[in-house]
Amino acid sequence: MTAPAPSTPAPNAAFERLRSGDPATLARALTVLETGGAEAEGLRRRLHALVGSARVVGVTGPPGVGKSTLVGAYVETLRRRSRSVAVLAVDPSSPITGGAILGDRTRMGQHTADPGVFVRSVGSRGHAGGLALAVPAMLDAVDAAGFADVVVETVGAGQSEVAISRFADVTVVVSAPGLGDDVQAIKAGILEVADVLVVNKGDLPLADRTAEHLRSMLQLRAGDRHPEVVTVSATERQGIDELADAVDAAHRTGGGVDAGPRRRATELLRQSALAEAEHRLTGPALDELGASLHRGTVSLAEATEALLTRCADARGHRHQDRP
Amino acid sequence: MTATEHTQMTLPGFAAAKERWEGAYVDQLDEPITIRNRSGIEIQPLYGPDDWDGSRYLDRLGFPGEAPYTRGIYPTMYRGRTWSQRQLIGLGTPQDYNERIRFLIDNGSTAVSLLPCNSGFRGLDCDEVPFPLLGTCGTVVNSVGHMDDALDGVSLTDISTAMNDPTPFTLLAFLLGVAKRRGVPFERITGTSNQSDYISHYVANHMFYRLSQPGSRRLLVDHVEYCRQVVPNWNPVSVVGQHMQQAGATPAETMGLTLSTAIQYAEDCMARGMDPDDILPRFTFFFDISISLFEEVAKFRAGRRIWARVVEDRLGARDPRSRRFKFHGQTSGVDLTAQQPLNNIARVATQAIAGIFGGLQSMHTDAYDEAITCPTEDSARIAVATQNILREEAHLCDVIDPLGGSYYVETLTDQMEDEILAVMDTIDSAGGMYEAVGSGLVQQLIGRSALAAQNRIDSGEEKIVGVNCYQDDGDGESPPPMRPDAERMRRFVDDFADFKAGRSRDEVDRRLTGLRRAARSDDENIFARVVDAAGAGVTHGEIVAALRDELGFGDPLIVA
Amino acid sequence: MNEISSLPSPAVADAVRLRVLVTKIGFDGHDRGSRLVAAFLRDAGHEVIYTPPWQQIADVVTLATQEDVDVIGVSSLATDHLIVPDLMAALADADLGHVAVVVGGIVPDQEIPPLLAAGVRAVFGPGSSREDIVDAVDAWGAEARTAKLAQGGFA
Repeated sequence: MTAPAPSTPAPNAAFERLRSGDPATLARALTVLETGGAEAEGLRRRLHALVGSARVVGVTGPPGVGKSTLVGAYVETLRRRSRSVAVLAVDPSSPITGGAILGDRTRMGQHTADPGVFVRSVGSRGHAGGLALAVPAMLDAVDAAGFADVVVETVGAGQSEVAISRFADVTVVVSAPGLGDDVQAIKAGILEVADVLVVNKGDLPLADRTAEHLRSMLQLRAGDRHPEVVTVSATERQGIDELADAVDAAHRTGGGVDAGPRRRATELLRQSALAEAEHRLTGPALDELGASLHRGTVSLAEATEALLTRCADARGHRHQDRP
Repeated sequence: MTATEHTQMTLPGFAAAKERWEGAYVDQLDEPITIRNRSGIEIQPLYGPDDWDGSRYLDRLGFPGEAPYTRGIYPTMYRGRTWSQRQLIGLGTPQDYNERIRFLIDNGSTAVSLLPCNSGFRGLDCDEVPFPLLGTCGTVVNSVGHMDDALDGVSLTDISTAMNDPTPFTLLAFLLGVAKRRGVPFERITGTSNQSDYISHYVANHMFYRLSQPGSRRLLVDHVEYCRQVVPNWNPVSVVGQHMQQAGATPAETMGLTLSTAIQYAEDCMARGMDPDDILPRFTFFFDISISLFEEVAKFRAGRRIWARVVEDRLGARDPRSRRFKFHGQTSGVDLTAQQPLNNIARVATQAIAGIFGGLQSMHTDAYDEAITCPTEDSARIAVATQNILREEAHLCDVIDPLGGSYYVETLTDQMEDEILAVMDTIDSAGGMYEAVGSGLVQQLIGRSALAAQNRIDSGEEKIVGVNCYQDDGDGESPPPMRPDAERMRRFVDDFADFKAGRSRDEVDRRLTGLRRAARSDDENIFARVVDAAGAGVTHGEIVAALRDELGFGDPLIVA
Repeated sequence: MNEISSLPSPAVADAVRLRVLVTKIGFDGHDRGSRLVAAFLRDAGHEVIYTPPWQQIADVVTLATQEDVDVIGVSSLATDHLIVPDLMAALADADLGHVAVVVGGIVPDQEIPPLLAAGVRAVFGPGSSREDIVDAVDAWGAEARTAKLAQGGFA
């Protein structure tokens, strides 16, 4: 499927540099996409012709399980397999100030001397679910720059692992022993989205029990995904090859080269619409309908329908500048 | 019976008198404010026998040199022997260092310390690093020859030496190499491995030779074992609370983390089969002394009491010498200001008094310009003179534990003890110090306290003269920085290159092979091989590189 | 860094949210100051990429490129500021001349002019206030960001 030709702007020099994989240009493209605006939209629309060759691996899991260290070890393994790798490391931004300290890459080890590795720290910028709104578009840029593998690391805060699993080619969910009630922290919804389950810190005493627990939970569950459970120790660099093999095996194929980018675009649209709806819902219509619901003059179903209709009619599009 | 009940019984009029005073206090105070010390303990305007009544004297204080050692670890304390003056020195070439320590020894220093050039902290030799940085902070000592030059004319048997020497302790190895050259038996070498506390390097100051954490853990135990057998008068362990406090931990947190670290090291050694009474008498501690005078005194007294108990109850030591909490204190550079730098002389004197009242065994006083540069000769002289004045003129040494029995200090000592024990409990729950730093717990705690301290300064709650009050613009320019003579340093680096090229390559390879073999084995003592290699002309950079290869590379454990 | 969020300031729009690299080059490992500054800048609404100490100059250039930062804050407590001019030259070579470099820590008065001559925008000594640091980063960073985005490219 191709976009209508008239609306596709002509390529320019920066775009060519991006295609050639120039890191500075890629970095700037990511900034543009993150910032939003007309330039971002123009760039996003040009990218579609070049995407489709990268494999996107989402790595998620609760805080403290060692995701960054694991990503670092995984990157090393991919490099040994001669694959170029880009990493988008998403960290939560402060909900109050929007600021963030992005320190994940410090735990990934030093890859700065290797031109085959590109790491970018991304603040979630207050977006619901902890995954920055711009991430799907940023993945397009990395894809267009020719990286064979792209790893997106994000804190599993309940929603982001679901969001990432919608467009990642492989979703890796990381846990570790000693997180309290067995795997309580990753129970909710996680098993449904994981293509590979990793038990990190495999050198700790309870690691085997955690892995067993995950396997038994998987058996109780119907569904078409049958995630492999891999025990690793990222700090000791143990089990990482097995993880890489499991990712290869789980790599969703089919759907054509466009399947991944199409999923990303769909998710971008979904997230953009949800953000916009959230914005519009906070207007006066919500208060009025809420009051009616309180008085009992409308049913919940009627009020919901009325609210959505009024949102759809609302003027202005806060995210029109968004990528 | 509580102190309040005890007071009411023994002093019938006390309650009424206190109420009278409280009334007058409230009446005459414009606005009562809550004051907390750095450890977060609320400080009252007045303490009395209802806070501390002395009824548990034997239990809580006892006499100097006796359990629980609250009042000091020796019966005579400073009446017998005052603290050692141990100034931390390091700059330029070994020759520069030698000139400086001879000057200090002539001015009353009884012990020397050696701070290696920062370039060494990456495990590199001077020919592998950017030239402009060489010797600007610390002395370049990369070989046994360098150490020999640094200690030229200094008697190894008369002066005790402290080496700022992280794992794998190359500086001590060079020192032993010099002893061998000069025919001094190892048993007569005294001093301390000042930076053996690798855990604090990973989490707090990150000044180490970049050996992996498991590698450092093993090397520390090897080093203790070696010293116990071969250099019996050397203190192989110094647990450095200073790093934690400088990084931002409160005084109480610092003491808790330091004691937990000491427990970790003792237990690691005992797991190797060492007897606690064989090793604990050679454990030493190293602390920052902040300007929060009473809090510091209480920190040291409480720490001493807890350690004496832990050593007996938890580590199973029986020898009284194991229970002595020997510590070196360094006046805190964190409290010094770049503004109005001469004011720092007053700050250092105040900090030093806190250390002396706290019962330290050796001390470094900062030079007033340390917030700006490596000390100049003049500022270094004033720093030593400060100690001399306090010892000779101020009569601080006349009475042992002179603040003992103060209602305030005893109450505060008890409260600090509770805070310290709470930190130690947290660390125990996390599986001990080694695990607690791996999980980031300690780093988060330190980071929180550092930010809270900064917020108190920014809000003006904590006052700093010349910084957030009494500022003036009359500072003038800061004193000129001490920088090594470039010409001399260039010649030194060239000489080092010649030395390296002139060695027998086979000999170097043979020693390094032995070192690597020990590192790969499960039971051979690695430090013995470090000493062997260092004495044979293998350099700091070569030793560290080989060990990093075998034992892994060490990155600091930073929780951003 | 840690959870204490102090002095909240108004949220910053994405268009002016700066990306700041806070780092240490050379040999010193003490990072209390750089951690505090990182927290200040986060609380001011910026995105801080924080590195461990001991970065080589080439590492900093790569990090600045990949992270497309507007400001680099170099913390120097010992004497590491002496190689900051080398960093400035390396940044210029990598077409990162627009990035505003500020130095914080202990720099003797006599050694400040060479840094400024090499293109360092500001040097913050001990006792610098949080406001001074944040204001300067805001101002220099906004200029750098404008220059960067004006280089254009994708429009």
